[in-house]
Amino acid sequence: MYHFDWVVFWTYIWPPSALQDPLIRNGLIATILVSVIAQVFGVILGLIAALGKMSKIALFRWLSEIYIWYFRGTPLLVQMSLFYFGLGVTHIYNFPDIVMGAIKITGAIQAGTLALGINEGAYMAEIVRAGIESIDPGQMEAAKSLGMTYGLSMQRIVLPQAAKVIIPPLGNEFNNMMKTTSLMEVISAGELFFGFNQINARIFQPFELFIAASLYYLLLTTVWSFIQARIESGLGERKGIERGPSMMERLFSGSSGKGAR
Amino acid sequence: MPTPKVKLADSNIIVKAEKVNKYFGSLHVLKDIDIEVRKNEVVVIIGPSGSGKSTFLRCINHLEKINSGHIYVNGHMIGYHDRNGKLVEDSERNIARQRAEIGMVFQRFNLFPHLTAIENIIEAPTRVRKTPMEQARAEGERLLARVGLVDKRDQYPNQLSGGQQQRVAIARALAMKPSLMLFDEPTSALDPEMIGEVLDVMKELAHEMTMIVVSHEMGFARAAANRIVFVDDGQIIEQASPDDFFAKPRSERTRLFLSQILH
Repeated sequence: MYHFDWVVFWTYIWPPSALQDPLIRNGLIATILVSVIAQVFGVILGLIAALGKMSKIALFRWLSEIYIWYFRGTPLLVQMSLFYFGLGVTHIYNFPDIVMGAIKITGAIQAGTLALGINEGAYMAEIVRAGIESIDPGQMEAAKSLGMTYGLSMQRIVLPQAAKVIIPPLGNEFNNMMKTTSLMEVISAGELFFGFNQINARIFQPFELFIAASLYYLLLTTVWSFIQARIESGLGERKGIERGPSMMERLFSGSSGKGAR
Repeated sequence: MPTPKVKLADSNIIVKAEKVNKYFGSLHVLKDIDIEVRKNEVVVIIGPSGSGKSTFLRCINHLEKINSGHIYVNGHMIGYHDRNGKLVEDSERNIARQRAEIGMVFQRFNLFPHLTAIENIIEAPTRVRKTPMEQARAEGERLLARVGLVDKRDQYPNQLSGGQQQRVAIARALAMKPSLMLFDEPTSALDPEMIGEVLDVMKELAHEMTMIVVSHEMGFARAAANRIVFVDDGQIIEQASPDDFFAKPRSERTRLFLSQILH
């Protein structure tokens, strides 16, 4: 019979003691920051690719199509390895560590964040495009008839309305993003899962440690679910869109996650 | 760069269309349309649905591209310029500049739902004309007063009735101080009891604006139009003053159409 080591379990699950360990403290910070930066990067790339896909210029359409096709059609794990090891070996970019005072951003973190962001952009492109296409074409026509250019009409009239459609799935994407950062473990980027793995290599208590690791991710996604619900109900009150699912539905419906890519 | 002015025989001509043709795929929707509209004239275009009247209106501000012919507004060719005898589509910026001079009112209002009534009105003046915010607001409120909605200034479109939304849309178009107003079936999407309030605003406007109105409202045509243009199957069948048009239509098709709509 397996002897469950409660001491190890509680040490690594109880934040005051767990966060004593720099592997977990820095890992948790890295996971949060990488998620946020990669998601922001993904939204920007997604917006560019969505506008490219709807462009009148064929070259922009093709570039966007190829980008979306490639990054949605290949595994993120492979993309990440390609960025870090592949680009490194060609010396196109070696991902040197960046040191800013007490903070060190390792090459693996940079490469991982870049891969996550570029991959996310391909998914966001479809979400942004669907959001823009959900807006009545009469809105663009009205803006143009007032002498507004395409860019100004997009920025002032179409995108603010599309944002209401884009924000709920964007929240789900961010939820996935926080979990997906754990893939960076394979390129030894110092995020949360990497931290737990390092500790496991030292004390070999995988059952206790990985339950603890999973609960940290659960904490992150649950806190985010509450924030997301607040954001969405705020949107709904102001602009009269339908209310999103309740907190309980959100946590237990099981339909919104889409698993590892 | 602005398109060079074309010499027109009469500088009072606001709109001039010459042999305008337009296709949707293989469908020939506008066939050699020729028309002139003078300053302060109110022209009402009528005709069966699918006759091309709305399409023609949308060509005047280049929301639709024409396949051949020319359309001039205030002496400037719309949407294209002449390069060694060939028509080349204008830059986006140039087209936008031309559209700023042409107000348009849509069947489905197309107010911006995320902006209040006053914000709808001042959006283009402040962003396109760079009118200072305070001045734009003051002018916007004057326009809202003119359409009888000054108390709705801070309401969102979904808090307004259809008739109120259309009146805000008219004020929004007027805020750019256009030299021409286009109305694309402005009362067709309204409940019957709201048609009157919109037509009243338009009648008031008809005293001082150049207007082209696509409409089925024969009462408005009689009361406000200087000229009625009957379009069928992409062609102008006949045009006349309202008195002549209703009393003695010349063509058989006009008589048939009038008998259908006037009962």
